[in-house]
Amino acid sequence: MSNAQLEIQVIASLVAIACAIPGTFLVLRKMAMISDAISHSILPGIVIGFFITQDLNSPLLILLAAITGIITVVLVEYIQKTGLVKEDTAIGLVFPVLFSIGVIMIAKNANDVHLDVDAVLLGELAFTPFDRLIISGADVGPKSMWIIGSILIITIGLLIAFFKELKVSTFDAGLSASLGFSPAVIHYGLMTVSSVTTVGAFDAVGAILVVALIIAPAATAYLLTNNLKRMLLYAICFGVFSAISGYWLAHVLDASISGSITTMLGLLFFMVYLFAPNKGVIAVMYREKQQRTEVSLLTFLLHLKNHTEESERHVNHLNEHINWQKVRSKTVLDLALKNNMIQFDKNIVSLTEKGDEFTSKAIDYIITNKDAQIEHMKDDFFLFRG
Amino acid sequence: MEQKIAVKVDDLTVAYNYKPVLWDIDLEIPEGVLMAIVGPNGAGKSTLIKSILGILKPIAGSVSIYDKPYDKQRSLVAYVPQKGSVDWDFPTTALDVVMMGTYGSLGWIKRPGQKEKKAALEALEKVGMLPFKNRQISQLSGGQQQRIFLARALVQNASIYFMDEPFQGVDATTEIAIINILKELRKAGKTVIVVHHDLQTVPEYFDWVTFLNVKKIATGPVKDIFNDDNLTKTYGINYKVSIQE
Amino acid sequence: MDITEYIKLVFTDYTLRTITMGTAILGAVTGMLGSFAVLRKQSLLGDAISHAALPGIAIAFLITGTKDTNVLLLGALISGLLGTFWIRGIISKTHLKSDTALGLILSLFFGFGMLLLTFIQKQPNANQAGLDKYLFGQAATLVESDVWLMAIVTGICLFVLLLFWKEFKILLFDADYTKTLGFNTNFIDVLITSFIVLAIVLGLQTVGVVLMSAMLLAPAAAARQWTDSLGIMVFLAAVFGAFSGVFGTAISATQNNLSTGPVIVIVAGVFVLVSFVFSPSRGLLFKQIRFIKNRRDLQLHNTLAFMFRIAETHENISHPHAIKILNNFQGFTKGTLQKLVRKNYVKLDGSMWSLTEEGFKIASNLYNQQSDNNE
Repeated sequence: MSNAQLEIQVIASLVAIACAIPGTFLVLRKMAMISDAISHSILPGIVIGFFITQDLNSPLLILLAAITGIITVVLVEYIQKTGLVKEDTAIGLVFPVLFSIGVIMIAKNANDVHLDVDAVLLGELAFTPFDRLIISGADVGPKSMWIIGSILIITIGLLIAFFKELKVSTFDAGLSASLGFSPAVIHYGLMTVSSVTTVGAFDAVGAILVVALIIAPAATAYLLTNNLKRMLLYAICFGVFSAISGYWLAHVLDASISGSITTMLGLLFFMVYLFAPNKGVIAVMYREKQQRTEVSLLTFLLHLKNHTEESERHVNHLNEHINWQKVRSKTVLDLALKNNMIQFDKNIVSLTEKGDEFTSKAIDYIITNKDAQIEHMKDDFFLFRG
Repeated sequence: MEQKIAVKVDDLTVAYNYKPVLWDIDLEIPEGVLMAIVGPNGAGKSTLIKSILGILKPIAGSVSIYDKPYDKQRSLVAYVPQKGSVDWDFPTTALDVVMMGTYGSLGWIKRPGQKEKKAALEALEKVGMLPFKNRQISQLSGGQQQRIFLARALVQNASIYFMDEPFQGVDATTEIAIINILKELRKAGKTVIVVHHDLQTVPEYFDWVTFLNVKKIATGPVKDIFNDDNLTKTYGINYKVSIQE
Repeated sequence: MDITEYIKLVFTDYTLRTITMGTAILGAVTGMLGSFAVLRKQSLLGDAISHAALPGIAIAFLITGTKDTNVLLLGALISGLLGTFWIRGIISKTHLKSDTALGLILSLFFGFGMLLLTFIQKQPNANQAGLDKYLFGQAATLVESDVWLMAIVTGICLFVLLLFWKEFKILLFDADYTKTLGFNTNFIDVLITSFIVLAIVLGLQTVGVVLMSAMLLAPAAAARQWTDSLGIMVFLAAVFGAFSGVFGTAISATQNNLSTGPVIVIVAGVFVLVSFVFSPSRGLLFKQIRFIKNRRDLQLHNTLAFMFRIAETHENISHPHAIKILNNFQGFTKGTLQKLVRKNYVKLDGSMWSLTEEGFKIASNLYNQQSDNNE
């Protein structure tokens, strides 16, 4: 592994961490799409900054572009407030227009601006090691590394300083206001950090990968945990893992590094989406099926308890009256029998003592604790597994 | 007096995201009653009528309208959803919304014509909204919006009306206007079922009531069962509900 | 090039005519279907779908090896639909919210598409150039058969739209109610979504994946400001979309170095801006004017009510009072006083004022109303 290769991986990892932190909060605040808007609409800011500084890595350019990002947020919120269009339409209107303005500014000044729209959108990580920061004659490493490193340090500093405020305002804006810190300050603070990070990262990885690095690791982590600190940690790990494995994927395929990193993020998300222990699709579908059976069993038991008349308790009633298909009623009957909840007497079903007691408890529990999922009951009542 | 049963609900169980919302509901609603469904927040009142109407899929149970499955009797049933369930900024007029009531009988593709328009205008007249027929719906007050919804259901010319909180967020005049129309419907032999949250007005407005809190607590004539005992059972402090029968 | 020359050129020059026709038709169909996307609060879905279409283009090329537009767009259509259904899967099966699902699919599919495109570019056969036109679109590459395809799809769209107009309208307004009337809401829903995906895919060649969503939203958002009827809104959106296409093409054709896509988007953006500001019923300008007028009226009323309270204390309501005492009252200005005099509610006599009969009557009504409202 050459020095340049190592540097690319370090830069990619730094970008991944810098994106994962604001990304976690954006995903939790249901504002993921605003990062997409920011990443596009910073283009005019970058172009203007480039006219002035003639240097893509100048801090002034980053500042100007970040301001465009914040203008986007303000503009979107202003349009939303007028009530002329619905919430998300405002986002969808603002960023393509700003992006188009940027594209046209580049096109009209093609001779003066050595900026390529493709490069803005896609970035080129492979070139980052060649633009080096020279301080009094000494080569201290690629410029991008220093820029994204500084942004990361500021982000981490802000995260540690305002962790409590961020947490409270994310989960309960009302409480946050009553505790004395304004949700608006936190909101715009977060938007500023997101904008700065996006701008700092775009040159290395491009606008679209920034969006992927902001949203995907946080969303993947959110499928695994509800704990904010853990979510941050997981998101950072996923980001770094995809950055490094994506680099090697690109190396093997001889393809775009940012495209490969995004693809790794996608694969990672897909795996977690399918297999996450509690919130993955497979787990959810399995649980839904199980819960369906359990709810059905309880319904059935409850029905037996409610009705003393024999006609309501005849075996056939399950099919006719409760309106279940044959298969399901059989599963439910078997399950109840296996757990000694019911007994048969010439096709008339009745509850056993155990079944009766269980049903009373279950009803009590459900009605006093409507919000608790049935699942919790399993611990209290030795529950059945089919 | 032998009364026909308009709506019969059998062993209806509904779970929202697999949390139980309604448990083993048996309910018989006689023809020609004006019935309130009451119960605390989250008791499943809206869920009950949405499941009867097939908007939500129950886990178990069946619904019949005049002894036939609901699917075959849709034309006998009209629904007034909660006012807050739609976007009132939608680009359409009051008359247009009321016309939607005729879409069911028209079926697929066929367009409403003069006959439908006339029916819609009559319904608007009945709820006192004729002068506002061309008004954009966002320009209407909450009470007026509710009346438009009521008119839309009236156009369906159904036998059974289901209404979800029709008195929520409406002015006093509208409330009186609506209840008068409901009483008129009952006089015409229709059955009206209303999700209601104002206990004070139950005896004045309704003749039939169902107490609901996840399970059915009681159902019957207001004068017989609207009493402290059932109210405590439904709204009681610890929500402990004894099993009926 | 001046305008007449340009117009002449549109009719004579094959390429320019094709591009103009193409962008006009595209604008019309996206505007039409965009109205539905906007009203269904699915504005950003278009953005996600257009990005999600990219890997489909690349895979279609990898499999078939042709650059035939129809084949590539078929790939885009499949991949766009796949993205749409995955978004729905994420929203319904996990606790991730719709914005996260949209952002995820958008960026992940796009990144994967870029991986494939760069991979294709490094392949030895030289036939691969030009796939990246789908990023920003290149209206200049439109040929007559492309325009025919657009016209046919638009025709089908229009036909289905007219056929199921009633069903679309009621589903957009009140889905639950539609269900109770016995309509199969899933079918209508899938129909609308499929056509939206189709329109987006059609536009990729011209406008590109990055800017496609604006073509969907901008004409619809502009049209919504001018009308309160769904039919007129859809029609206006189609007109605005078509004009954005025509004007955008004209501007980019007469200038050097301007790609068509971004110019069309900016023209559409101007339509939105003008509509937001100048629409008579909803526009910001008239809203502001109404707001100022209302505030003035309120000031006038308040002043009159204040005068009424003073005049009330005297038996003779026309008893004169000093103007000075009004100065303590907030909202009182010389202007409001002048206006009251002009309306003949108040008489002035030197530094004294008094209410007229008429003024007293109006004021007592207002005063009662005010105290009613306070209760």
